[in-house]
Amino acid sequence: MDAVEQAATKEAESSIDLLVIVLDTNPSQQFVRQSPQNLTQVLESIIAFGNAHLMQKAQNQLAVISCSHHSTDFLYPVPGRQVELRQIDGQYEAFSLVEKTVKQQLGNILMNAPRLSSPCESLLAGSMTMALCYISRLQRNVAAGAKMHSRILVVTGSNECASQYMTFMNVFFTAQKLGIVVDTCALDKTLSLLQQGCDITNGQFLKVTQLDGLLQYLLWVFLPAPQMRHKLVLPPPPKVDYRASCFCHRELIDIGYVCSVCLSVFCKYSPICTTCHTIFKTPGPLPIKPKKKKKVEKQM
Amino acid sequence: MVNVIKGVLVECDPAMKQFLLHLDEKSALGRKFIIQDLDENHLFISTDIVDVLQARVDELMDRISFPLHDKDA
Amino acid sequence: MADTKFGRYASCSSVNMSLPVQGLTNLECKNLQDYLQSRTPETLEKLYTHPPICLAVYRELPEIARQFIIRILFVDQPVPKAVVSSWGAQRCAKDQTEAASCLTNLNVWRVTAIPGGLAAWELSPTFKKSLRQALLGGGKPWTMTNTVEKDSKPRDISFLDSYAMSRWRCVLHYMVGTGARSSGTTDAEAISPDAVRILLHANLMKRDDRDGITITRQGFQFLLLDTRAQVWHFMLQYLDTCEERGIPLPECLSMLFQLSFSTLGRDYSSEGMSCQMLTFLQHLREFGLVFQRKRKEGRFYPTRLAVNVTNKEEGQVVRTTLTEDVHLQNSGYIVVETNYRIYAYTDSPLQVAVLGLFTELLYRFPNLVVGVLTRDSVRQALRGGITAEQIVSYLEQYAHPNMKLMESAIRSKSCLPPTVVDQIKLWEMERNRFIYTEGVVYNQFLSQNDYLTLRDYALSINVLVWQNERTRTMVVQKNGHDDVKRYWKKYSKIAG
Repeated sequence: MDAVEQAATKEAESSIDLLVIVLDTNPSQQFVRQSPQNLTQVLESIIAFGNAHLMQKAQNQLAVISCSHHSTDFLYPVPGRQVELRQIDGQYEAFSLVEKTVKQQLGNILMNAPRLSSPCESLLAGSMTMALCYISRLQRNVAAGAKMHSRILVVTGSNECASQYMTFMNVFFTAQKLGIVVDTCALDKTLSLLQQGCDITNGQFLKVTQLDGLLQYLLWVFLPAPQMRHKLVLPPPPKVDYRASCFCHRELIDIGYVCSVCLSVFCKYSPICTTCHTIFKTPGPLPIKPKKKKKVEKQM
Repeated sequence: MVNVIKGVLVECDPAMKQFLLHLDEKSALGRKFIIQDLDENHLFISTDIVDVLQARVDELMDRISFPLHDKDA
Repeated sequence: MADTKFGRYASCSSVNMSLPVQGLTNLECKNLQDYLQSRTPETLEKLYTHPPICLAVYRELPEIARQFIIRILFVDQPVPKAVVSSWGAQRCAKDQTEAASCLTNLNVWRVTAIPGGLAAWELSPTFKKSLRQALLGGGKPWTMTNTVEKDSKPRDISFLDSYAMSRWRCVLHYMVGTGARSSGTTDAEAISPDAVRILLHANLMKRDDRDGITITRQGFQFLLLDTRAQVWHFMLQYLDTCEERGIPLPECLSMLFQLSFSTLGRDYSSEGMSCQMLTFLQHLREFGLVFQRKRKEGRFYPTRLAVNVTNKEEGQVVRTTLTEDVHLQNSGYIVVETNYRIYAYTDSPLQVAVLGLFTELLYRFPNLVVGVLTRDSVRQALRGGITAEQIVSYLEQYAHPNMKLMESAIRSKSCLPPTVVDQIKLWEMERNRFIYTEGVVYNQFLSQNDYLTLRDYALSINVLVWQNERTRTMVVQKNGHDDVKRYWKKYSKIAG
């Protein structure tokens, strides 16, 4: 048993840990609307947290992706040759590089963002897809013999995005298949979809109500690599709401209709499946209660 | 009163111990060298014999091993 | 794994120190933690004023210890012990205790009492300040980061790699004596008296009356280490002697770590460095840890040797100026077959010499050496103090890239044929069937009481090797005999 533990520790020490942070920068998030200062504070915490991750092991890697209502962009690393940067204070130059690049990139993005007339949903699922693609690319380039563990951390204060249900589900199952852990830090929102994602991929879901202690929360819950989390005491998993959202109105439902061919979920009966165009035979005279009715099971 | 003798403690597996006992009994190294038989894994022997003994054991190992491969292959 | 092996070997040899058969000490490799733990608290405190050192120390800590530190890094008061231990899962209590004692030994944290009488952990203020600085910024910039003008002819990574390896090989060549003998050597190939002094100090070479300076058995073991481990061991020895040279240790260590945290392929400035640090830089230049065009030039490039120094394993990814990672081009040249044959694609006398330590060389071609691992050749090496682990790791390290692509290699950790690895280890074990401990046997005690008293005393001063209560016999270490004898005289006087 001890030998197994030791081997696991050794493996953990030599593996590459890749952390991709997906940061929601949508201005319609509640905490940003309260005070734009809050975004800066969250950003500072994220940068410090990202650097703390890099500090754990020399071979650790980091990527930061910003996600907004109109686009998804890499904040770090940026393609091409890195900016020439000289140290100005006692900070380790790799850390300064992260800090400078992230701030500079985000500044550019916010300046060029289209004006927003009404609150818009963030493209979280899309950003996570981008993160998965990035991870999968790096995974392919890993040298023979080296091991890479990847995870995604979503930091968001947006509301539930039920309209992206399908994309979310695809992301979660892909992540599960690739062994990528999805962690979520929700800023004062309950997000049942992301909660499901964390549960499926063995990640942590944490709802932070106060921005003040954000960094400390991040360092506590999300800094330890998934492989060593069993050695630490972390918050117990919340009860996960496994409701699916219907394909017709994008609303979370308890009970609905499921297409027998493609498993699409609908809140109201329709004779033709909108996803796969299957025509459902109407059994007998006009049914008051169709037989296709089925309780929505776990994982759809 | 207590008896005190200087020497070398040898720790080994029972099979090797039997070999040492055999060497001692036959005086194969020219004389007896075991001072005390302690237990099945331990012997106490005289210091000056260690070199000869190690050489003898190496010789035994050489005798009971045979080449694993053919150099001319 | 390798560490425990070393540890076991070291302990065996220390017991057998005075015996003629195995009385030779082996190369002892320390990691950063061992090295720092053997320093005094005052030195440590001085070292911790340098952010690079703190960063390196942090990375060397056990993973749980790292989590503990990061969680109290931003807490401005001591944290009760009970709180800290509640962070770890109950079933990993052993890991936690280890982590805690490691942090205490390194002087990173200490126990204080907080109001209410509870014991609490407090991070060393110096360490805390430096680590925060490294993480978040603030404070003075590191010494070598002054701006330099853009290099008109910047050196790329492959140039730096080949430069570093050629410099480092000079040292190795000198050790096996091939550097001087092979024709066409220029002065640049010779190594400086300072480097020779370090080799002598490290006991890797010794001065012989007859043939001048020759390599020792530790030296041969050194050659079998991977390059990273060689550089690290060599630098530790350098640091041992740097105080005599008038170069302050904290600055040296800090500089060494700064280099290890630098970016490969980027130039740094030596402007503003003290005179001693410039000397240190020249030494680093000689060993290939940095590249500098001219002695006086204020610009230097760290090489992979320097950047790798704190990594735990060879060939890990290294931060470079390029976005994509560049791995060291594979330097493997050895093919090992299941029939114990070794094909080495090399023309380097150094590599052939090292290979010759444990193989029987059969044929030599311009670019290929063929040898075979035999029981005799391996035993020869074992007799020379080289361990089976070292042989195996050397072969693994320089295995030809094609070896790594084999089906079995991908599935298992090692790319060598398992039969060969096992056999080498068996050959080693066969030699170690005896463990000799020089000592003194006590028997024929008159009373059980006498026996127990003496035995307990021997046990208490840690010199008891073997005992049997029934036969009233005990064996103590040779160096403990005098103490035990004295005690016995005193005891029997009182008793008698």
